[in-house]
Amino acid sequence: MSEMLGNQYFLARKFVQAARELEKALLKRPASKKIRRKLIICHLQSGEMNRAIELFVPLIEENIDTIAKSDPMFDDCPCPEIIYDLEKQARIYQDLFSYNLKLGILWLYCDVDKSIHYFRMSEKSNPENTLIKKIISLLQEYQLKHEQVSR
Amino acid sequence: MGLREAPTDDILDSIGEGLFTVDVNFKINYFNRAAETITGYKREEVLGRLCKHIFQSNQCFDKCPIGRVLESGKNIYDMESTIRNKNGTVTPIKLNSSILKNEDDEPVGGVVSFRDISDLEILRNKFTDDNQFYGVIGHSKAMHEIFELIEEIADSDATVLIQGDSGTGKEMVANAIQMRSQRKKMPYIKVNCSVFTPQLLASELFGHVKGAFTGAIKDRAGRFEVADKGTLFLDEVAEMPTQMQLQLLRVLQEGTFERVGESKTRKVDVRVIAATNKNLKEEIEHKRFREDLYYRLNVIPIEIPPLKDRPEDIPHLIQYFIKKFALLYKKNIQDIDDQALDLLLNYSWPGNIRELENIIEYGFARTRDNNNVIQLDKLPPSIRKSSVNYRVSDRMLEKSDLTGSVSEQKVAIRQMLEKHRWNKTRVAKELGIGRSTLWRKIKQLDIEE
Repeated sequence: MSEMLGNQYFLARKFVQAARELEKALLKRPASKKIRRKLIICHLQSGEMNRAIELFVPLIEENIDTIAKSDPMFDDCPCPEIIYDLEKQARIYQDLFSYNLKLGILWLYCDVDKSIHYFRMSEKSNPENTLIKKIISLLQEYQLKHEQVSR
Repeated sequence: MGLREAPTDDILDSIGEGLFTVDVNFKINYFNRAAETITGYKREEVLGRLCKHIFQSNQCFDKCPIGRVLESGKNIYDMESTIRNKNGTVTPIKLNSSILKNEDDEPVGGVVSFRDISDLEILRNKFTDDNQFYGVIGHSKAMHEIFELIEEIADSDATVLIQGDSGTGKEMVANAIQMRSQRKKMPYIKVNCSVFTPQLLASELFGHVKGAFTGAIKDRAGRFEVADKGTLFLDEVAEMPTQMQLQLLRVLQEGTFERVGESKTRKVDVRVIAATNKNLKEEIEHKRFREDLYYRLNVIPIEIPPLKDRPEDIPHLIQYFIKKFALLYKKNIQDIDDQALDLLLNYSWPGNIRELENIIEYGFARTRDNNNVIQLDKLPPSIRKSSVNYRVSDRMLEKSDLTGSVSEQKVAIRQMLEKHRWNKTRVAKELGIGRSTLWRKIKQLDIEE
């Protein structure tokens, strides 16, 4: 039942249950970009940041469009509402690195520039983190390519 | 075109129920014509869109019917819900839901069929009055005793056996018991035992495994499993083959059974309500019904009296059916004339309430919209003929006697009142009774001018 049930939980914003089911589905279809794209959000919302990063980095290495080209309406992406809530709660977050990292990932589903902005903010809190540097580099490269195409 | 060559879309478009299917991502990939009519959306507007964006039901989040089937593995039947139409109005619906699977038994989509129950809702709201008990109409003492009993057993899970002639409303009473019970929000499954062959009945009640018999192409849960934690209504239970009666007895005693073709024992928690129009004691004498099962079923017996024994319910039932058909047929008929009412009050009603409903529907069909009363000549000829043989009232009037049956008394008093243009003093004088006695009789018999 896993993938379809996971999708249903995702639509119902039951992220913990969705993560459980979609992880099962991922075991059967490890290459599925759709499953991984949803799982990243589910893990971020369930507090499983490490697992979210573990899925996020390879996915943007393969193809950033998988995340960046998602349509909030068509894909029923919950990121806009999650971001709205998160940004309102900025003052209560003690761990700014995680806070900015989470927003960086979530913004990539909606706006690349904003995403880079938050990844840079998280880099400020942890300048030696090579993974963040790698993510920023991948996103900047992607952004540059798109600017060239649009010109 | 033969059925085999008919495109599936054409077949699905021809059915009256709305039907749509979704893919694994809950995006609509089929939407039939009835669904267009009910929702107001055109097919091309919804295809590829998420079902929750189209239907906008509260249940999309908490009780998504496809999600529930995915969680439980059990199909959903007759679930009440609401949808938001394209124009923003909320429509009450009843829906069925199941999952579509691929060859590897993995879910690849879901299917939901639904029907608009707005008219039923209107009827429900319109007819909720003192003479109704969860949809059962009864003004008579006998029916009120049944309503009281249902109230008293509301907290019980005991088995109920409803006995009564055909058409007395056994299923309606079963519905009332279920709606008043603690299990009202749990599954309520109905099985008519007379419509299945013995093998199919076993499969229907207990389920089967793939290959158990020809045609058993996959595992299937039976009604007992589907009704787990809820209620199972076994209609026409006397028609159940004796072998199956033994299996039913075991479920009632232990809550356990096996699917056909399987040795694994399953356990369920199901409250059983059974009904029959047969005299089970006679069936036991003729060895057609197991005595032990009878006692197991007959924990709470309910006997619904035939309609001829409770004529005081007839006017209320007539009013109910008139209102119902006025809405369904969109006719402005509001009443039945006195002669027709008298005739119906004195009829013997072998087909009970079902027959009365049919007669009112017949009268409706034959009454033109510009006449808001069903007249005697619009009733079925078979009923009208019966009146020729029924002139008890004349006899009673001659005798000035008020000792006949309730229906006889009612007809006699009504005719006397009409004779004296509803002058109660004159009627009382002619009958040789006090005016207050007459008044009490009129109230008691529910006679209205």
